[in-house]
Amino acid sequence: MRVEIEVWRQDSPEADGRFETHVVEDATPEMSLLELLDRLNDQLAEGGVEPIQFESDCREGACGACGVTVNDTPHGPVPQTPSCRQHLRAFGPGRGGSPNLDSGSSASANLDLGSLLKLRIEPLRSAAFPVVRDLVVDRSSLDRLIQAGGHVDVTTGTAPDADDLLIGHDDAELALDFAACIGCGACVAACPNGAAHLFAGAKLAHLALLPHGKLERTRRAGAVVDQLDGEFGPCSSYGECVEVCPAGIPLTAVAAVHREKLRAAFRR
Amino acid sequence: MTAAVERPAATRHRPSTFALKQVMAITGVVFVAFTFIHMYGNLKVYWGRQALDGYATWLREVGYPLLPYKSVLWALRITLLVSLVAHVWAAVALWLRGRAARGKHRRRAMPRSMAWGARTMLPGGVWILIFVVVHLLDLTVGLIVAPESWAAQGPDGLIPAYDNLVASFSRPLMAAYYTFTMFVIAFHIWHGWRTLLQDWGITGRRIRVVWATIGALIALAIVLGNAAIPLLVLTGVIA
Repeated sequence: MRVEIEVWRQDSPEADGRFETHVVEDATPEMSLLELLDRLNDQLAEGGVEPIQFESDCREGACGACGVTVNDTPHGPVPQTPSCRQHLRAFGPGRGGSPNLDSGSSASANLDLGSLLKLRIEPLRSAAFPVVRDLVVDRSSLDRLIQAGGHVDVTTGTAPDADDLLIGHDDAELALDFAACIGCGACVAACPNGAAHLFAGAKLAHLALLPHGKLERTRRAGAVVDQLDGEFGPCSSYGECVEVCPAGIPLTAVAAVHREKLRAAFRR
Repeated sequence: MTAAVERPAATRHRPSTFALKQVMAITGVVFVAFTFIHMYGNLKVYWGRQALDGYATWLREVGYPLLPYKSVLWALRITLLVSLVAHVWAAVALWLRGRAARGKHRRRAMPRSMAWGARTMLPGGVWILIFVVVHLLDLTVGLIVAPESWAAQGPDGLIPAYDNLVASFSRPLMAAYYTFTMFVIAFHIWHGWRTLLQDWGITGRRIRVVWATIGALIALAIVLGNAAIPLLVLTGVIA
């Protein structure tokens, strides 16, 4: 199948970016977005053109390294799926790239393979994520949030015996649900306000549920909310972050940001 | 997160975004309460001229003689005015911060987005702000957009709220404007109320559903109670 790719090229953080259009003639429905970019890069390299820079690591949705905006949707048109797990078979023809996932038959049967698939691929967009090069962005603003308070910083002595600190099953499951965040940054890119509440809230909610994390709950809330304030925008409950989150973090994580902050305010 | 681009140190906002969101939330609740009580008072129109005029006059007398004449009314008006200034100021400040944080690349709305409630908050808010001015000129002050027969006091010494209302809504354009605005207000409340869940950190699954339902019901009540009045005036049911 033939895929027309409009892709963002930017030589350096300071340079002005631009879109370039390339065509991959021999794409297959089984290809993931990243494999499509690999194929395109082979083509470019053969032609002596500098390949397109993009980030990837595990390519199985676990690491959070990849992440590009496809047809205006962070990660791509399939909801709650990282770029590496977005396959061409799921993309409808045309710019909208609406996924053909709702049919009973196999998704690929719906795709007219003779037709032209158009994709516009650009970096994750946010003021907090400056472009390093092409599709690679600097997401260290998320690292700084973790440094501010997304960790446990207490001396716990030697490793405790198993079952020393009991955690209820429901709490453990809930904490794990919030801990599922892979730090890809799609929530920030999806947010029309450039907010990182889903990311920060997942961390706050996760650590507030666990015995060691609870010890620093008040300090953490203040530090994380201050850091959010400095580098990210306000939350207006658009909910677009939830739609793109590959880890399925719910909107309650966003509520957890202010829950923790309000709790800290009354504890001073 | 391999490479780091050099950037100036993060700016610390004053007042904090958290504080601004709380201002939005608290003043927003003031307006929801006001709008709901206002709608409840408007229902007097279904009981006829005397009921509505009596209610309008009572609003000025309430608390008297313990409190000065019109004092409760003015206390409420000042509360609303202060809330309005704070709500608009916080909204503009937050909007500017959101635009700055988004960066210069505007992404088109996501195809399957459920976010149109959020997206219409700002234009809806501006629409409501203009409506407040029009509404006050029309039925409270009696200037510019008011009907020709507008009066500050009726022959019976009561506030002629009923006659003023009927005169105003007998103009089809004005009636349509009021009716449409009620939907804008309901939409604004519907999303604003849902946002309170995030602003006040309500994380319980059941209470989130209950809370959102309450907001939707308040919004629905305001539409049903208010938007019907201009339509009933136009159709001659209220005359």
